[in-house]
Amino acid sequence: MELKNRNGREGGAEVVLSLQPHSSISIAYHPLFGPHDDLVLLELDEKLIPDILQERVTLRGQPNEDAVLCTSSKTYAVKFVGTSNSLFLMPPSDQFAPRENVQDCDEKDSGKMMVASVLKVAPGNMELVEVAPRLDKLKLLLSENPYSFYEASQIEDSEGTEKIDFGLYRWEDLVDRIQASDSELRSELEALFAVEVNGFWRILDKDYKDGLLNMLLHNSVLNDWSFDALSEDDVVAVLVADGFPCNIARHCLQIYGHRVDGGIGGSCTWRLDETRVCVHFARRILRGGKMRLENFMEEWMKKVPEGMHPRFDMLEGEVLTEKLAIETWIHAFSVSSLPSTPAERFSILFQERPKWEWKDLDPYVRDLKVPGLSSESLLLKYTRRTQPTLDAEPIFTAR
Amino acid sequence: MQIKVKCSCGQGNCPEWAILELQGVVEAQPSFQDRLRNLHIGLLCRASSQESYTFTVGYHELTGTKVPLKKPILVLKKTRVSDGDAVEGEGEEEKDSGGDIASPSNSRVQLAVIGIIRHKILFKTRPKALISGPQTVAMGKISTPSSLAPNCGYTFA
Repeated sequence: MELKNRNGREGGAEVVLSLQPHSSISIAYHPLFGPHDDLVLLELDEKLIPDILQERVTLRGQPNEDAVLCTSSKTYAVKFVGTSNSLFLMPPSDQFAPRENVQDCDEKDSGKMMVASVLKVAPGNMELVEVAPRLDKLKLLLSENPYSFYEASQIEDSEGTEKIDFGLYRWEDLVDRIQASDSELRSELEALFAVEVNGFWRILDKDYKDGLLNMLLHNSVLNDWSFDALSEDDVVAVLVADGFPCNIARHCLQIYGHRVDGGIGGSCTWRLDETRVCVHFARRILRGGKMRLENFMEEWMKKVPEGMHPRFDMLEGEVLTEKLAIETWIHAFSVSSLPSTPAERFSILFQERPKWEWKDLDPYVRDLKVPGLSSESLLLKYTRRTQPTLDAEPIFTAR
Repeated sequence: MQIKVKCSCGQGNCPEWAILELQGVVEAQPSFQDRLRNLHIGLLCRASSQESYTFTVGYHELTGTKVPLKKPILVLKKTRVSDGDAVEGEGEEEKDSGGDIASPSNSRVQLAVIGIIRHKILFKTRPKALISGPQTVAMGKISTPSSLAPNCGYTFA
């Protein structure tokens, strides 16, 4: 037994790594050698080390999803890379130190040979690949229970009583469910115009948004306010007087406007975004289904508030037109309702229309972002481009 | 669900682990197959001042070099903790508002960084058979994808 077993002082990884010229060290299986499935090797970029040291890194995902690793601003897929080589993993001597070893040291002396121990033979390691955040689920979750007139009136009736409801998500609930970094999640909440109501992140029901915007426009006309210089305090005051909660009133300005100056101490001023307001009305008109283009334009002009000028190019990525005989028809097809993973996006696009001209396709693909892949290579991967003659418009079809 | 990656290493002081990487697998003689713990594998030598090493396993000698990793590798340790340190299975249903977090025992996984690897000693060539038996305790054989050392016996020195 003496011969085959380790017989020396544990030197650990540090001795292996600092082995001096003309010296040697015995390598043995560790007293605690085993599969150690709880030990995982993760290869990562040096630039992520500070995030690790400061504990700004989390793994996110449901049991049925592939885990992603998130820093505060980026999302990475975690992939296992196996190897047929043997990776002998050796801890430093002060980790996984078996008790008997200490004794050994005390008793007998340092004349013994140094040993470094292999704790585990690793089958490979995990590595990280930067990916686009998986945010489509956020819209689904928030759409389960949008904030509505009904709820707004309920809250007024029974103020103070806590209601238990389905489909309500706090920030912590969202980070538990959405595979995205904190900052990617925040900017998506902003892009979806979500607002925090009583601690829950909500989007507004479309009727509620209609009512809110109508009330804002109505009051602007009534009070002779300029759409380019709305005082936040005034707007909030009238909307609250009309029964909207204060934070929703403020949120309305965020949905349909831009802040022009951040008042220091005083009230902020906002400018309504003409395109957003016009698009809002266009969407509303097209909710009923497709229309003849002329009818739509006529209706649209009528609906938008005085002083705003709807232009067809505002509807890029919102509508599609098609020629039927001599008539042009228009229907709603909003890029914001499409999935954000390229494969799913292109599949829906080609279901909608088998052939796309570039000018039509561009608004529906330019928001697609895959780390490490340019938009050209995305097109190359998911579409087939044909160009009958050199000066003809290229046509994109499914691959 | 969300797993925070804990790290108690402080500013850049993660304990450094080492990797010895070699082709194929080291196999102990069948009689020791189940008793690998504490078993001697081989002798690692640094012959000169260069970062070149030999690793002698049984009658085989591997030659390799110490290489810095292009990207560091973290050693993470997974531990399971039951929610809020509560006694397992008790009072946990009400804590879990989601319902679709399907971990059966309702325990949570924690990951902690316990080490970092920045170098490995890589033996990328096939082993060389030693003509005369080594003086050291020889404990195993190396089987490689080739038929270089298929039946190399296990010997006591």
